[in-house]
Amino acid sequence: MSTSALIALAAIALVGVISAIIGSLGVRVARSTSDFLVASRTVGPLANASAISGEYLSAATLLGVAGLILREGADALWYAIAFTAGYLALLLFVAAPLRRSGAYTVPDFAEVRLGSSRLRRVCTLFVLLIGWLYLLPQLQGAGLTLTILTGLPGWIGVAGAGIVVVLTVIGGGMRSITFVQAFQYWLKLTSVAVPALIIGGLFLSDARTFDRPSAPQFPVDTSVRIRTDVVLQVGGPVTFNATGEVDGHEVEGQVHWEPGEHVIRAGSSLRFASGTEVPTPVGSPITDQEWLNPMSGSAPNQLLEIYSILIAGFLGTMGLPHVLVRFYTNPDGEAARRTTVLVIAMIGGLYLLVTQLGALSRLYTPQLLVTGQTDAAVLMMPTAALGAGWFGWMISGLVAAGVAAAFLATSSGLVVSLAGVLFTDVLTGRLRDFRFAAVLSSILPIVLALTVTRLDFALTVPLVFAVAASTFCPLLVLGIWWRGLTPAGAIAGVLVGGGLSAAAVAVSLFASVRPGLLGVLLLRPAAVTVPAAFLTMIVVSLLTRSGVPADVDRTLLRLHAPERLGLTASRFDARDDR
Amino acid sequence: MNRQHRVTVTSPQTRIAMAGRRGLPPGPVPRLAPEELAHARRIRRVQLRWAAMGLLGVLTLLAGLPLLLDLAPGLWQIRLAGVPVAWLAVAVLPYPVLAGLAFWQLRRAERAEDASSPGNEAER
Repeated sequence: MSTSALIALAAIALVGVISAIIGSLGVRVARSTSDFLVASRTVGPLANASAISGEYLSAATLLGVAGLILREGADALWYAIAFTAGYLALLLFVAAPLRRSGAYTVPDFAEVRLGSSRLRRVCTLFVLLIGWLYLLPQLQGAGLTLTILTGLPGWIGVAGAGIVVVLTVIGGGMRSITFVQAFQYWLKLTSVAVPALIIGGLFLSDARTFDRPSAPQFPVDTSVRIRTDVVLQVGGPVTFNATGEVDGHEVEGQVHWEPGEHVIRAGSSLRFASGTEVPTPVGSPITDQEWLNPMSGSAPNQLLEIYSILIAGFLGTMGLPHVLVRFYTNPDGEAARRTTVLVIAMIGGLYLLVTQLGALSRLYTPQLLVTGQTDAAVLMMPTAALGAGWFGWMISGLVAAGVAAAFLATSSGLVVSLAGVLFTDVLTGRLRDFRFAAVLSSILPIVLALTVTRLDFALTVPLVFAVAASTFCPLLVLGIWWRGLTPAGAIAGVLVGGGLSAAAVAVSLFASVRPGLLGVLLLRPAAVTVPAAFLTMIVVSLLTRSGVPADVDRTLLRLHAPERLGLTASRFDARDDR
Repeated sequence: MNRQHRVTVTSPQTRIAMAGRRGLPPGPVPRLAPEELAHARRIRRVQLRWAAMGLLGVLTLLAGLPLLLDLAPGLWQIRLAGVPVAWLAVAVLPYPVLAGLAFWQLRRAERAEDASSPGNEAER
């Protein structure tokens, strides 16, 4: 194994060990079930905001956004905006009232607000679906990271990440998770900021620029192995050496491409001389100038696609189970609100750096455009830009540590919240069962991650947000602000939104989607499914007006009144023995 | 070691949720003086109003930005220190705007809760 691989492996292992140490220090204070589930609700805004950001900035979004910027350019920036804006929606409509509802999970909230056990079961189902869907890319991303950095087979990364996550959760529950995740946020920030600053400085002292009407060029002689079939496009004539099947012919030697689309089969090897123009995946911008321009795409449905991405991110964040659960660890609604504001600043800052890295990767790792593995951009940047020496390897190790932290943080957060739901709704409530629930909630995604072929983060992550936005967003927003919501309306809305978006997920994951209006809506269903869910919820609620809970006014009052009025469930804390 | 009295340990949230699910009364009904009740109602109305204003602000940003870039492709020609303004508008501008909106909303929401509190400080 090479030195760089050993450094990366050591860095990843170090993150695991430090997380375990912080986690085990937390165990000493974790005694009651309340500690396990909600850290006894004593976490201050800054610590909790760090934890939320640490947990939310998954490796899938980190690597995925940078990779997408490498390929799509300015059009990929909408994802990062949407993922950040999601917390503004949370702040505006959900954070404080949800904290004051005293509920722990979305099913709990549904129960508190509408008192329907059937709605509770439907919600439980969708929490599990969303959580499992989101765990899948996280675990597979751990495999990708390990393969890129060390050359080890991906399944080791998947299995290793799965085991560490389960051990962390079982070891300390939410309290230790809080500090582990807060640590992981700051580690992530460092691991992105340092290379962004160094490589950014390199770029500024460099004569190169993005602002050119031609495709990017290979900075050095580059060999590329194609692992999956790709269709590439070139804007001008390109000559390179190839071994394998190109455009339907077996070739060995020099290949000359005229402008247009070209097919390369998996298993081919290509060698490009320094200065050759880089072929880009079909459908993405060819020249750097198109790439730099936010509205360069000629696709007629581009505006619809962008709005759909923005809706999914803006409204989907509040529906992610691991995000919601964190707000219960705040002592009160006011702290929940302050936490959210800090989170927006923290996430926005990190995405600014990720954007910079993604843009620079167009200069330093353009070969990823040919292989299609754009998700690896951040991982390969340090050695590509700084050279294969100790300096490059150390920065690469730092990035590896940050990405490993990202996987661990998001996955453990997801497992905690899924285990919480299994624990309160499916299993009976004893402490031992929570540990059992943690194991139970991670087995299925680990098995899936080992068996299903990995898809681009750019495909999977927005779909999860779309499902969350079409189910829990209408339930939370209407539940918190509209007294007319009925159990029947809520169930119908969640089923319509969830059913439609889940169908779109299934089609786009397992079938090939044609471009066009329908294709855009299948890949980015939020623009249709979210309004459909809201509408269904409102119409069915109006039709079943007698179903409005009798104590609705008191419940709503409790959600919105500040704690000092004494309406909130924190009254119950007086009986909490600690 | 001294033997401790055994108690059921559940989080308050779980207790509430379970109490509700088992059909038991969901805890003590809080009693509020009429003026406190009016105060709580007023807070909810004010919060909803500010939230709607905040939503309007963020919608202007999120819906307006793509539309603006779509309708005014000429924006791409304008440079600021060598960087196209269109790129800056998508890559940098939204984050400070979102953070600013969030901070403004926080101030509004907290002020709404603090304003004209009917002397309940003893409760804290």
